[in-house]
Amino acid sequence: MVINVKNLVKRYGDLIALDHFNLEVQEGEILGLLGPNGSGKTTAINCILSLLKYDKGTIEIYDQPMSPDAYDIKRNIGVVMQNVAVFDELTVYENIDYFCGLYVADKQTRKKLVAEAIDFVGLNDFTKFYPKKLSGGLLRRLNIACGIAHKPKLIILDEPTVAVDPQSRNNILEGILELNRQGATIIYTSHYMEEVEQIASRIAIMDKGKIIAMGTNEELKMMIKSGEHINLELLNPEHLDLTEIQALPHIISAEVTDHQLVVKSSRGKNNLIAILDHLKDQNITIGKIYSEPPTLNDVFLEITGKELRD
Amino acid sequence: MFLFNYRYRLKCIFRDRQLMFWTFLFPVLLATLFNLAFSNLSSSDNFLKVNVAVVQNEELDQNPAFTEAINGADDLFIVQYTTRETADALLKDNQIDGYILFDSELNLVVNQSGLNQTIIREFLDDFVQSSATIVTIITTNPTALDSGILAGVSSRTEYLTAVSASQSNPDPVVNYFYALIAMTCLYGGFLGVKEVVAIQADLSAVGARINLAPTNKLTVFLSSMLAATTIQLLELLILLAFLIGVLGISFGDQIGYIALTCVAGSLTGVTFGACIGSIIKKGEGLKIGILIGSTMIMSFLAGMMSADMKYLVMTKAPILGYLNPANLITNSFYALYYYNTHTQFFTDILLLCGFTLLFSTVTYLVIRRQKYASL
Repeated sequence: MVINVKNLVKRYGDLIALDHFNLEVQEGEILGLLGPNGSGKTTAINCILSLLKYDKGTIEIYDQPMSPDAYDIKRNIGVVMQNVAVFDELTVYENIDYFCGLYVADKQTRKKLVAEAIDFVGLNDFTKFYPKKLSGGLLRRLNIACGIAHKPKLIILDEPTVAVDPQSRNNILEGILELNRQGATIIYTSHYMEEVEQIASRIAIMDKGKIIAMGTNEELKMMIKSGEHINLELLNPEHLDLTEIQALPHIISAEVTDHQLVVKSSRGKNNLIAILDHLKDQNITIGKIYSEPPTLNDVFLEITGKELRD
Repeated sequence: MFLFNYRYRLKCIFRDRQLMFWTFLFPVLLATLFNLAFSNLSSSDNFLKVNVAVVQNEELDQNPAFTEAINGADDLFIVQYTTRETADALLKDNQIDGYILFDSELNLVVNQSGLNQTIIREFLDDFVQSSATIVTIITTNPTALDSGILAGVSSRTEYLTAVSASQSNPDPVVNYFYALIAMTCLYGGFLGVKEVVAIQADLSAVGARINLAPTNKLTVFLSSMLAATTIQLLELLILLAFLIGVLGISFGDQIGYIALTCVAGSLTGVTFGACIGSIIKKGEGLKIGILIGSTMIMSFLAGMMSADMKYLVMTKAPILGYLNPANLITNSFYALYYYNTHTQFFTDILLLCGFTLLFSTVTYLVIRRQKYASL
């Protein structure tokens, strides 16, 4: 097992940031860690990395207790921080070389690793640039290169795509998948559901300092009440008796707005057929029809609630 | 790791333009301004000879002894012989401080009273007194002339001897430059703050990244501090070379001890900044503000803005002088320049070492922890 966290408790005064937090990460997987602001994602990661003190619990990485002096464990970990962590006074090449040098002493090996990291994030044309001259996307890529240049077996990425344009974001996500294909185990935290949905093999949803749901993308979608969303374009909605549709089995809600009937169904089979039969009975003419399975966003909102955070 | 980090820290500090301005260019600019402001301060204390005219007439021609006496006082007077009309005109135009007119007796004509007029009058009184003494001796006891009594009358003997307690002449200006160097040493605190911020996970993102690496934090910290001290010393050496070579400020000839003062002062400055950087948990701006504020207060008390302040502190609250690193650095240079012994110098150096130890210990106690309560 790569990471094994048991009953982790972290308090800031009266505030419980981590409430008996448990986490297991298997080798080779990409774990997406989701949660609203203040749910404890970054705190959990900082505790796992031995940056933060915690009040209770155990943390093992590669079956060894994690501590600030656990250099053998640390050597296998790469971290891409939420905030860009580079020196403004060093060039792109020097920054990567410096942070790689904290892990790799041999100059020749380091030179090769730095070149590979630059190539990996596509900063070949910017090696002599200072960070202040880089765009937001390039800066994020530099941040990633500094975190992964030493070829770690475990990579933790804490919201690495914040404030990055779609092109750069896509580039970063492809890079993460490539790292995983090369054998790295990855923990990825983000606010962007579609990112996590795209790359994570398993997803954990955190709230109020603990994991409240965990599983694959499909498993999580099975956990929630709402199933598919059925959208139908009605050409003569004035003849529609909505109460009859709402009374159908497995139907959670049905609303009509601007000739558009939106029906949310729970799990169950043949929901669409039943609705179509009913509309036919009412002599309603149908235009376009499409059905959407629940998204991770639906899962997230249903599990964590829709109230505003922060 | 030590050398690897040391090299990169040197690069980081050298390329930090703001830092280099405050720790290097600013003191050089300030020294240049001091030099411009104080260049006339010493020369204003120099004695300027008194301009005096002597009216040339028959009476003067009959008193060659007076002409000989006034010509002999060329370290006091600039004498010009002229007519009375010209002398009046010169006096009216303030080109002379007074003129001497021989008629039945010796007269001094002035149009105002002042130091220079008093000097001329004293000279004339002395001449008249000596002349009268000689005339009395000749008329009452002419045989005394044979025993060389006249030589005794005209000669002057100093019964008080000035003994200098120092090996150099006192110069009030140099203290300003010593205080400037003290300020520069303490500005090394900027480097100390930078180095602490760079390795503390709760102070910077790069600090967090460094804390995640499999490296000994103390090794990284010590090599970072060494890099900061190296640059601080280089900056000080260049400043000293500028002060001595370009501005002509005297530091005496004890180069080894001067270097020792620079090393001790730099270490105190850098560790002072590191201490402030580690104990103040707020933003870097606040740390820098506190550093500048405390450095300026210490430099002020050490006499950088007014030499009287240093004297005031040493007479009214001497303990404050010993608790002020800027004052200790200033005192060290002062002791090397003026005193013939090294007692005061080594006392100051030891106290500076004590401060360095204190600041280092506090910094170490704060940064040694490897986990943080919050980030």
